Amino acid sequence: MKKLAIGLYAALTVALMVWGFYQAIYVAPDEQTMHEVQRIFYYHVPSAMVAFLFFAISLAGSIGYLACRRNRAEWAQISDAWALAGAEVGVVFCTVVLITGPLWGRRAWGIWWTWDARLTTTLVLWLIYVSYLLLRRFAAGPQVQTLAAVLGIFGALDVPIVYMSNRWWRTQHPAPVFGGGEDSGIKDPAMLHAFAWNVIAWLAWGILILALRYRVERQHQKFAAQEAQEALDA
Amino acid sequence: MTSALWTHLVKDLRIEWRSLDAIISMLFFSGLVVVLFSIAFDPRGAFSQQIAGGVLCVATMFASVSALNQAWTREIRHQVLDAQRMAPAPGAELFLAKVLANFLFVSIVQVILAPFFFIFYNLHILGQAWLLALVLPLGTWALVANGIFFAALSIRSRNRELLLSLILFPIFIPALLAMVQATTAILTGENDPTLWIKMLLGYDIVFTTASWLLFDVVFHAE
Amino acid sequence: MDERVLLDHQFTVAAYVVTWAVQLGYLAWLGLKWRAQKRNAARAARNPR
Repeated sequence: MKKLAIGLYAALTVALMVWGFYQAIYVAPDEQTMHEVQRIFYYHVPSAMVAFLFFAISLAGSIGYLACRRNRAEWAQISDAWALAGAEVGVVFCTVVLITGPLWGRRAWGIWWTWDARLTTTLVLWLIYVSYLLLRRFAAGPQVQTLAAVLGIFGALDVPIVYMSNRWWRTQHPAPVFGGGEDSGIKDPAMLHAFAWNVIAWLAWGILILALRYRVERQHQKFAAQEAQEALDA
Repeated sequence: MTSALWTHLVKDLRIEWRSLDAIISMLFFSGLVVVLFSIAFDPRGAFSQQIAGGVLCVATMFASVSALNQAWTREIRHQVLDAQRMAPAPGAELFLAKVLANFLFVSIVQVILAPFFFIFYNLHILGQAWLLALVLPLGTWALVANGIFFAALSIRSRNRELLLSLILFPIFIPALLAMVQATTAILTGENDPTLWIKMLLGYDIVFTTASWLLFDVVFHAE
Repeated sequence: MDERVLLDHQFTVAAYVVTWAVQLGYLAWLGLKWRAQKRNAARAARNPR
């Protein structure tokens, strides 16, 4: 029964992706100034939204782990699995954002990159969570989960500081802002439609991948616990 | 200052005084970095005043890492770290003592390095020079406090030294920005550094508090 | 004018291709991890101690 549900969900996700692609490429009208390149937007922005959401999930997992690790061991393990899954899939989506963004920016505004608040924060966020994943890979021993959780919290503390510091920096040295500034939005309803479909599609895809990663991590946790138990019993 | 904090601090200072390991390696490394940057970014040019602040801060960063890398190794030898864990004194005081000691070491290096820096870059301070005495310590504190904390995080990892840099630098970025902007503003006299100084202060408070609160978690992680 | 349109198109294609390459690449890596876990679990089930 569960397998059927998962299979159906996966099929739905694929259908959504196909529909989103169709909307983005064939249905959405051509934009006035940027023409075709603007279509990158339909992949770039939803990916950014999913990335930030998953990083938030990772933070919640880190906090949950630290809160639960003494008294509710099973919940702590579940939290840690979400922390890792959120971080890893978040990095995947963030990588997409950081590659598609410059591709779009180069054609739309003539520059690959600029150090405005949004881009810098995204880049630093990517760096922080990659360092989080590296810590999990390189640190050994049973305390990895605790150390990673602490790093996750530190990283999250840093993000608003990065954003604000960059905004102040930009008021001193104004520079181009990608995406046309903070208040420009999509006004054409057809574009809004395509955008909404792609947000839904990428969110569905992201949740699918996240859930898969979570499952793999839980399996790994149980297997590691089993091995540790056997080592103790032997 | 509580006696545990004082004891730890005196211990670290005394060990360093006997060998001067950290300070000598830091001094040489940061000196090298300054020379390399001088070759890479011509200090004779018109922009030397603009980039001097950045060079000084990055040189401090790289130099500090060499000190931070060995900050905890002393404790690992002879299982001193385990003994520390079993001691009833709160781990946070050990942390603060280490930060104070290493802060002192890095500051000593900065003070020794500064004149050479001024000479290489022909610096003349157009802004309020005394503010530098505020900016540099604040920035150094941000680096050392976070660095000691993350060094404790990476003690039991394979590539301890590399991991420290990889974890520390991304989180340090806003402090680096503030430090460089403030230093450049003071050197060139073009902008007002107060905003950046306040930001550095805020960063220091946030992260020192977080490190203080979470150090015991990391120290006794098992 | 034409060259600009061509480059625009190439960049857009590149963006979409890279997105899918990253996503599917990660999915593939995840699939490999899943298989490895299954093998580990099977091995553990076969030798209960």
